[in-house]
Amino acid sequence: MIHFSNVSKIYENQTALRNITFSVEKGEMAFITGPSGAGKSTLLKIIYLSEKPDEGSVTIAEWELSKLKESSIPFLRRNIGVVFQDFRLLDNRNVFDNVAMALRIRGMTEYDVKERVMEVLKTVNLRHKTDSFPKALSGGEQQRVVIARAIVGEPTVLLADEPTGNLDSDTAAGITRMFKEINAKGTTVLVATHNRELFRNTGRRVIKIDNGAIVGEELG
Amino acid sequence: MYIMYSLKLAVQSIWREKWINLLSVLTIAAGLFMITLTFFSVYNMDLATKKLPEKFSMMLYLNNDLPEQEAANIISTLKKNSAVERARYISKDKALEELKGVLKNADYVLEGINENPLPASIEVKLRQESVSISKVKKLAADIKKIKGIEEVEYGEQFLNSIHSIKAGAQTLGLLMISIMSTGVIFVCYSTVKIMFYRRKEEIETFKLLGATRGFIRAPFVIEGGILGIGGGVVSLIGTAALYYTLFYKLALAMPIFKIIVFPSEVFIALPLVGLTLGISGAIIALGRIRFS
Ligand SMILES: Nc1ncnc2c1ncn2[C@@H]1O[C@H](COP(=O)(O)OP(=O)(O)OP(=O)(O)O)[C@@H](O)[C@H]1O
Ligand SMILES: [Mg+2]
Repeated sequence: MIHFSNVSKIYENQTALRNITFSVEKGEMAFITGPSGAGKSTLLKIIYLSEKPDEGSVTIAEWELSKLKESSIPFLRRNIGVVFQDFRLLDNRNVFDNVAMALRIRGMTEYDVKERVMEVLKTVNLRHKTDSFPKALSGGEQQRVVIARAIVGEPTVLLADEPTGNLDSDTAAGITRMFKEINAKGTTVLVATHNRELFRNTGRRVIKIDNGAIVGEELG
Repeated sequence: MYIMYSLKLAVQSIWREKWINLLSVLTIAAGLFMITLTFFSVYNMDLATKKLPEKFSMMLYLNNDLPEQEAANIISTLKKNSAVERARYISKDKALEELKGVLKNADYVLEGINENPLPASIEVKLRQESVSISKVKKLAADIKKIKGIEEVEYGEQFLNSIHSIKAGAQTLGLLMISIMSTGVIFVCYSTVKIMFYRRKEEIETFKLLGATRGFIRAPFVIEGGILGIGGGVVSLIGTAALYYTLFYKLALAMPIFKIIVFPSEVFIALPLVGLTLGISGAIIALGRIRFS
C-alpha cells in the first residue's frame, strides 16, 4: 500500500531522511518510532504530499507520487486520513464543522454530512462537544476531533503523527484501541510516535529511525 | 456539489468583514457610476448627431445646358440607391420662384437681372436610419462623378467637425471606460486578496484534507461576484436618481434635458458588468493554486 524506495529529503542544510526503503502492506498497522528530530513527520508529509522527496520514489496504492498530476493530488489526499502533529484545527469553527469539512470538500450533501459526522463523533466520544470550539477543549478532546476528521471520510490509509502527544497513559491507550478498531475494518494505519507505550504488546511492526535513517525493525 | 457550501462561505466572509466589503462595494459603485456617465454622454451625443438635418439632404446643381430628360435619368438612378428616400427636380424657374418666395418684400434685389442666374438642381433626401456621416461623404463623392452634375452641396464642413468631435468623444469615452473598469477590477482584486490572506491557514488545511482548486476558489469568486453585483446595484440607484433629477426636475427649467435618453438595458447591464468585473478581479487575485 505504501512503498518507499531509497527516499532522501534534504532541507536547506539539514538532511531529514536518508535513503529510506520500507513498505507497509494493505490492511497492516505499523509504527514508526525514533527520537525527536529523527524524521518521522517528514516521512509522513511525503506520503500525504506536503513535502516532495529529493531522491528516491514513493508509491501509494498504484500511484507513483512523482508522476502524479498536480490536479490529482486532492483525490489521492481524500484516500489518506491524517492526524496532524500540530492538529490543524480551525479555531473559528466548532467541532462539528471541523470534522464536517473533510466531507464538505468532497461535495457531500449537508444531510449526509450531518449523519456521518454525528456517527464519527460518537465513535470518538465527543457527541456532547459538537458545538464547542477547539480552544475550549482539552488536549485529549482536541486530539480526538483530529482523529474524527481523519477517519470521517473512510480513507484507505490513516496516518497518525504523534497522536498521543503528551496525553496521560490511559487516554493514550484509548486512542491506540481506536486505531486498532479502524485497522480491523480494513484501513491501513501508520502511526509515528516516540512513545513506546503506544506499541508495546501490540505485536505490530515497529520501524525505528534515527537521524533520518532506518536503524532497525522490531515487533511491538 | 459543493456550490451551496461555497455560497455559504462567501456570505459568511462578506459578513465577517462587512466594513471592508461595504467600502469595496461603494468604491466599485463609484467606478461603475462614472462608467455609466461616460457611456451616457457618448450614447446621447451619438443619438443627437444622428438627428442632425444637415446629414439628410443634399443639393445637386446641374450643368446649365443639361436637358430636363437627362435630369430625370439622374433622378431615377439616384432612387435606386437604398440610402435615398426621395429626389426632386428643381428647374431654373422653380428655383427663382422659391428664391422670390424667400425674399418676399425684398425681391427688389432681383430687379434689373433679366436672365435667371440660378442653376437647375436636384434636391435629395436621405433615409435617416441608414445613413452615417462617412456614408454621406462617400455618396456625395460618387454623385459628383455623374455626368451633368456641376456641384454637390451638403453640410460637409459641419459634418466633418461633428464627425471629429464625435470620434474624439468616443475615443476619450472608451479610454475612460477602460481606466474605470481596470480600477473596478483592481478594487475587487485587492479585496479578494485580503480575504484570501486572512484565510490562508484555513486554505492550507482545506488542501491537506483533499479540497480541489474549484472548492478553494469558489467562495472567493462568488464573493468577488457579489461585490460586483452590489456595486452595480448601488451605482444603478445613483444613475436612476441622477436621471430622475435631470429629466423631471431640471428639465422643467431647462427643456434641453428632455432629450436625454435613458436606455432601460442599463438596469440589467450594470449589475452584469459589475458581476463580470468582480469575478475577473477575484480570479486574478487567486492566481494559480498549488498543492505541493
Ligand atoms: N520545513 C523544514 N525546514 C528545515 N528543516 C526542517 C523542516 N522540517 C523539518 N526539518 C528538520 O528535519 C528534521 C526532521 O524533522 P521531523 O519533523 O521530521 O522530525 P520528527 O521525527 O517528526 O520530530 P518530533 O518527534 O519532534 O516531531 C529535523 O532536524 C528538523 O529540524
Ligand atoms: Mg514530528
